[in-house]
Amino acid sequence: MERAQLIEELRRIVGSDGVLYRPEDLVTYDSDGCVMETHAPQVVVLPTSTEQVSAVVKLAAQAGMPIVPRGAGTGLSGGATPRHGGIVVTTSRMSRILEFDARNGRVLVEPGVINFELSQYLKPYGYQFAADPSSQKACTVGGNFANNSGGPHCIKYGVTGSHVLGAEVVLADGSVIWTGEGVPDRPGYDLTGILVGSEGTMALATKIWLKATRLPESTRVVLALFPDISNSVETVSQVIAGGFLPAALEVMDRLAIKAVNEAYKMGLPASAGAALIIEVDGVEDGLDELLAEIVDICNKNAAIEVRPARTVEEQTQVWAARKNAFGAMGRLAPTYYLVDTVVPRTRLPFMMEQVKLISQEFDLPIANVFHAGDGNLHPIILFDRSDPDQYQRAHEAASRVMKLSIEQGGVISGEHGIGMEKQEYMPLLFTADDLGAMAAVHESFDPNDLFNPGKIFPRTQTGKELASQRHAVMAGHTNGENEFDKVTRLIKSQGEKVWI
Amino acid sequence: MDLTTLARQLTETIGAEHVSSTPDACAAYALAGQTPDIVAAPGSVAELGQVMALASAHRAIVTPWGGGTRQAHGGLLARAAGRPWLVIRTRRLNRLVEYEPADLTIVVEAGMTPVELDALLRPHGQMLPVDAPLPERTTLGGMIATAADGPRRLGYGLLRDLLLGTSVVETSGRISKAGGAVVKNVSGYDMMKLYLGSYGTLAIVATASFKLIPRPRDAATIWCSFATQAAAFALVEALHTSQLAPAAVEYLAGAEDLPAPRGLAVLAEGLQAAVERHVRDVSHLARQAGAQDVQILRDEDSTRLWARIANLPQTADPAPNELVVRLSCLPSDLNQALQDAASLADRHGLALLVDARALSGVAYLRLHSAATANQAGTALRAWHQELLVRWPYLAVLACAVVTEEGRPLKEHLSPWGPEPAGYTLMQRIKHEFDPQGMLNPGRFVV
Repeated sequence: MERAQLIEELRRIVGSDGVLYRPEDLVTYDSDGCVMETHAPQVVVLPTSTEQVSAVVKLAAQAGMPIVPRGAGTGLSGGATPRHGGIVVTTSRMSRILEFDARNGRVLVEPGVINFELSQYLKPYGYQFAADPSSQKACTVGGNFANNSGGPHCIKYGVTGSHVLGAEVVLADGSVIWTGEGVPDRPGYDLTGILVGSEGTMALATKIWLKATRLPESTRVVLALFPDISNSVETVSQVIAGGFLPAALEVMDRLAIKAVNEAYKMGLPASAGAALIIEVDGVEDGLDELLAEIVDICNKNAAIEVRPARTVEEQTQVWAARKNAFGAMGRLAPTYYLVDTVVPRTRLPFMMEQVKLISQEFDLPIANVFHAGDGNLHPIILFDRSDPDQYQRAHEAASRVMKLSIEQGGVISGEHGIGMEKQEYMPLLFTADDLGAMAAVHESFDPNDLFNPGKIFPRTQTGKELASQRHAVMAGHTNGENEFDKVTRLIKSQGEKVWI
Repeated sequence: MDLTTLARQLTETIGAEHVSSTPDACAAYALAGQTPDIVAAPGSVAELGQVMALASAHRAIVTPWGGGTRQAHGGLLARAAGRPWLVIRTRRLNRLVEYEPADLTIVVEAGMTPVELDALLRPHGQMLPVDAPLPERTTLGGMIATAADGPRRLGYGLLRDLLLGTSVVETSGRISKAGGAVVKNVSGYDMMKLYLGSYGTLAIVATASFKLIPRPRDAATIWCSFATQAAAFALVEALHTSQLAPAAVEYLAGAEDLPAPRGLAVLAEGLQAAVERHVRDVSHLARQAGAQDVQILRDEDSTRLWARIANLPQTADPAPNELVVRLSCLPSDLNQALQDAASLADRHGLALLVDARALSGVAYLRLHSAATANQAGTALRAWHQELLVRWPYLAVLACAVVTEEGRPLKEHLSPWGPEPAGYTLMQRIKHEFDPQGMLNPGRFVV
């Protein structure tokens, strides 16, 4: 299909003001928050309804052009970058909160609703949307759905996947189905579960039923400053061992403290090597005693200073330091590379030691902010993007962190997704058979690779290729070798540690 | 169908003592009157892979078997003529793979029971709060395959929220893993979600990793007896509106061995002061709602009651004239759905036992007929059909009733209700994982 004709057809579907195609308009859409690679789309559409999205998808399928879904573009793994060009479908005009059903603890939204605005909307009713990624003031719930976003509170409340009840999705043939609406335990495969976190590679959500979570009656927050990271991690272990699961456990290291001090005049002591935020919530009863216990644990672990926050104002101030940490990095360097990996939480002190060594080896400052409750680390590599050598070193340092995390029994992304950033690391974490199973699901949803192609699966082993290799295995055509022998050999090659 | 060869190959692979191929030895694994040809019990994940590869080479029909407590769920196995039927037991896969308590995660083989798991976790003050029925017999793999739930889903979430990763053996015998052993992970598709509740139709779960929860410091149960369902649900509404955060709220009716024939059991867990607050507030709200009696149960009394409740959705084997279903609906509809279930039971002369997760919109219903088998079949079938018209999410969990013609009543029931949205997509997924239709054909939706 000619470009002019395509644009004409798209204008007919979404209206002339809903189609962007001039080069200067397309630049905005050539990447998301991960700027390692940019690719401009041929065209951007801004639909306002499911019917429009469906028509656009049908047209794209006919024209053989990729569909790249996009929320606010705050993603950090290149998930919304149109690697192979095509049509970017942005959800910014599908941003209505359609229905709040307090009795069933659910809220129906369009994918373009901003995460923070949803929680603000629910607050007067005594509810929240519990997934709260750091980008919550800008990111959309559709993006949260695609990336299975986390946030500081997921130790207690769980990631986005635990808060999606179902969705209306447009499939690769343009048909529309509902995967759920809030009735629990529906028979059939959990399509909602597999779609959440699939990074827009299998379908496009046009309406989402999200769980609305009751706000806790009361909350207490403690900010504790320690000489070293290890004190903070040990404190966290002891708090958890005390038989209470906090709502958040966040740590910042020395460099991150310096950044927030400079940017926001936080007045945190310069001698502190770690700042730990502990939040507990629930009914009011017992929280003050718990707070006292936590303060005591902090002190026993050589805290330099402990600031309990009881009022909402005090708590907001404590959280401001953490929530603005990324923004504060601008004080320290022109660019930063935010790494996102996860290790079993007892390996965090080891990882922090290693990050320090990596920082020395590559001669780049690295600040750390991490979710200490769930082992999700976020080394922030500071560099100057305009210096090609620094750019190279930053990427090598990030690569080292990912490989180390895998060696420590961890994974390469806790909440930012794979996208383009980490697709080449997938084979380090998964075997061809593991990836093949994922490819089989992809094949079921999107056999022509229409949705967000070139993501998640490694470039050298595309989903399509993995799926066909798997078909051969399933049919028993594996180079003449008996499948039983092959399985035996494969299992032996994996050794005792089949899992994990 | 070359049963002898398959049996010999299995014997060579996993040892004769772990392969049964005589009708007598296989009788314990009969389903709806049909006996499998071979029962094999591999002793490691590697052996499980090999057994599946052999099964695949023989185009066998395969039924994965954990504790055998939920084999009655769903439809009847569609046994194709000329294909051997192999039951693969996972119970010997019961090892601990990895547990570092301070990580709050654990990796175990799928044949482990929740009781065995709890013995590992308890000394470290941790738990997996799923509370599936028959915990000494059921396996974690079986719980995953059937998406088992328990009363505390209200407070701690579902197995879906606590399952972090799985390795599965696929029909080809290949092993694939998904997720990981960490609590937060977006590396690749969440394959575990697909295997969870798929009734062994996609692959056999070999190992699983779970997120663990610190054991609460204190707990108490507030038992509230009610004369009517309406009054009990007035308390449910009051609890919903409050900011209380109970771990479980179960509406129970018609069961024996409970403090009263009808009531609401509320479980509070957490800090001591928080538990006492729940005891006070729930008792008060219960009296406002017209409770006849409020009892506070602690320690052993409380634990015993919840063990009893957890087992209510099923017995080890379904009674002859019994139908067990799971009804799910929006939480706001539960009161009405249960009223419909009760009045239909009255009309058809059936005794009804209700165990409802009152704030979650899920109810386990056990219908029993005291009439002859034939009359029971007619009554149970009519009850099911009439309720299904109003409440489409009705899953048949057990029904051993045989009709006049000597056929299982299940043949006349729609065990999973109407075709779900996205059915074609589900069929495609099934075909990608099981192109030969080996795994549990006929049992599940797809």
